[in-house]
Amino acid sequence: MTPACRGLLLLLLVAGPAAAQSSEFGVRGLGIPLRPLSVRARATGGALGLFDSESGFNPAAIGLVGSVTASFQTVQGWRRSQTPAGVASVQDNRFPGIYVSGPIGGTRLALALSASGYTDRNFELASRDTLLLRGEEVEVFDTLVSHGGVSDLRAAVAWRQSSTVQWGVALHMLTGSNRITSHRAFSDTLYAGATERFTLSYLGFGGSAGVMARVGSRLTLAGMVRVDDRLTVERDSSPVGKTRLPLTLSGGVRVQLLDRLLIAGSGVYRTWSVADSELVAQGGIGSTNTFELNGGLEYIPDPKRPNRRPLRLGVYHASLPFPLERGSDVSETGISLGTGFRFVADRAGLDLAVERVWRSAGAGFTERATLLTLGISIRP
Amino acid sequence: MRRPAAPGAALMLVATLACTEKLTAPVNCPELCPGESLIVRDTVLLPLVGMDSSYTGYLAANEVPALLVSDGLAAGEARAFADFPKRSDSISVDGLQYAYTIDSVAIGFGLLARDSMVPGLRLLLRRITPGTDTTATFEAVDSAFRQGALVDSILVADTLKTGTVRLVLKGDTLSRLDPAEADSGRIGLAVGVRASAPTGVRLASLLDPTRRPTMITYVHVPTPDTTRRKQTITATANNANYVIAGPPPPGADVLALGGRSGTRSLIRFAVPAALRDSASVLRATLELTPAAPILGLPNDPGTLQFRGLLADLGPKSVVLAGVAGSLAVPAGAIGVQSADVRSIVSTWFTPNPPPSVIFIGLFPEGGSFARAEFQSSRAASDGPRLRVTYALPSRPGHP
Repeated sequence: MTPACRGLLLLLLVAGPAAAQSSEFGVRGLGIPLRPLSVRARATGGALGLFDSESGFNPAAIGLVGSVTASFQTVQGWRRSQTPAGVASVQDNRFPGIYVSGPIGGTRLALALSASGYTDRNFELASRDTLLLRGEEVEVFDTLVSHGGVSDLRAAVAWRQSSTVQWGVALHMLTGSNRITSHRAFSDTLYAGATERFTLSYLGFGGSAGVMARVGSRLTLAGMVRVDDRLTVERDSSPVGKTRLPLTLSGGVRVQLLDRLLIAGSGVYRTWSVADSELVAQGGIGSTNTFELNGGLEYIPDPKRPNRRPLRLGVYHASLPFPLERGSDVSETGISLGTGFRFVADRAGLDLAVERVWRSAGAGFTERATLLTLGISIRP
Repeated sequence: MRRPAAPGAALMLVATLACTEKLTAPVNCPELCPGESLIVRDTVLLPLVGMDSSYTGYLAANEVPALLVSDGLAAGEARAFADFPKRSDSISVDGLQYAYTIDSVAIGFGLLARDSMVPGLRLLLRRITPGTDTTATFEAVDSAFRQGALVDSILVADTLKTGTVRLVLKGDTLSRLDPAEADSGRIGLAVGVRASAPTGVRLASLLDPTRRPTMITYVHVPTPDTTRRKQTITATANNANYVIAGPPPPGADVLALGGRSGTRSLIRFAVPAALRDSASVLRATLELTPAAPILGLPNDPGTLQFRGLLADLGPKSVVLAGVAGSLAVPAGAIGVQSADVRSIVSTWFTPNPPPSVIFIGLFPEGGSFARAEFQSSRAASDGPRLRVTYALPSRPGHP
């Protein structure tokens, strides 16, 4: 292993829990499910996720990597959240993923290590109430803050059966925590504020397998299945319970329509309802199965230099697994736009994606978000 | 030629936007909140019956922080006294000793507090035999005061609440301060007070280095240098104290505070184990019911001081530094006195709690007319009560 590879591996290991997209829709269940996509795939609405070697989605996608590549992302989000209690403009910054991949010399194998967000549960909620204390009504102000989420650490191996067919398998370790702080303050300064803090920690394991096959000269198909074990939940090292995690099935198609134009689409189905009864038992609202559809394109102005300022567009619609109220549907729809640059003889690159996301649930909960994602990749 | 670095510009743009966090969103609870907020409850803790006590004798007789003087005050009749040392027969000017001629003498006292609603306040200064010590009784000092020759009185301006008050003697009146041969040159003064209504004052004691009783003698010295002929001789009292005929000692079933030698009280509580382990104190109020109207000088309230204990050793208990509360108690108060003692009580709800005891004193100890007597746990009703508002964890944030 070269020093550069060792450095990248170290960077991967010391990376903290990944997270992204703080939202009021991340309050329930395990939070908002995250998509382990590269910036390129994100800019196409996720449509290239099954085919993209820098995404942590389909382990077969790394089968064609020709050199060691490392990348990481940062996301700045601006959201406007509306609830029956009011409207808030919210900003946050996250580092949702880091990926390292490369071929194993002398073999048809490729290896990838990644750390990405599985679910995100960053939120701050503020509310007010009135209590009757010592015979008088006292106004109280409550804040509930959660930082953290579940991260997905993945080790994937892909086998290049041929130039047209690749297979891949991956092991996943799900780990992370929610640092939760609840504070109650009083309008009457004779009362001191009170705070309680604790940490919910998570641990689980899973596996995934995928395939990617080119059919003819322009059509590529891909599929992926992922199975995760139960997620063990502890509160300050005391067991709270276990939560079943879903089976994930995904399939997609990519078409090289023209020399300059690539289009793709995919669907993802997750059986989140398996967690329903256990989430309810832990005091939650529950969960439902989810389905995501996406489509996107990548236009390359100069086919001789495909990495020079491509234009990427995408759209997706997905249902979310954790309803705010029992029986209500939660969904999000997004459109995206992006591009990329390569420099230092294509050894380094920047990819940029801008997403506009709409989320909604029943009972007056809506959210609009603009997400700016920057990815930096290095090929040492 | 190098082109403008678009990637670098994008990186800078994102770096500029990054690290901006503003996360709070308003919600209606419990619709969206994952779990309820901290549970807030109220309870009343009663003291351990018979375990509250008063102790006296915390202050040595020469440690009083103020000299009390009163006339007709319900809180006690008080007289102050002061001795000034013998004045030298000569004065040194530019290294030479000179006999001097007295021009005038000023006697000053530091006024710490008065009832500003009582006009026409006068301090009466009478000559008494110097040497009155801390064993003197009120009757002895008062008798000497009544029989002593009047030096003069100091009219205190009605607008003056604190500051220095002075009596200046000159001319023929200087003879009123001639030392007696038998007194070895020392001058003893007793101080009384008169006003349009019963009242009292608090004067600075010897513990106050800037305002203690002082006698300044303005003299004329026959030096050749005419600019050096006016000199002063300053003498501070080498003995000053007060005596007071206060109300009778309180009964054993009340908690007493104040007094000349310092009386303090101690109240012990039992904290339920269930609360001790998990509660967080939001507010703690100690309620004390006066057994009699609070005594003191009107418009000069004493201050009850509440302290937590590091170790419960009865009257010699060790107090916790920095853990305290206070409450001003006006003269004449008869209602329940409520004091915030959260800083003390919250220490009882920690993993290694100190004794659940509140130690009460009265400030300025030994230097105030204030005297308070509260119902103890032995009283049939209206004993001390500790109202505690506390929070219990609710473990919100469930999935």
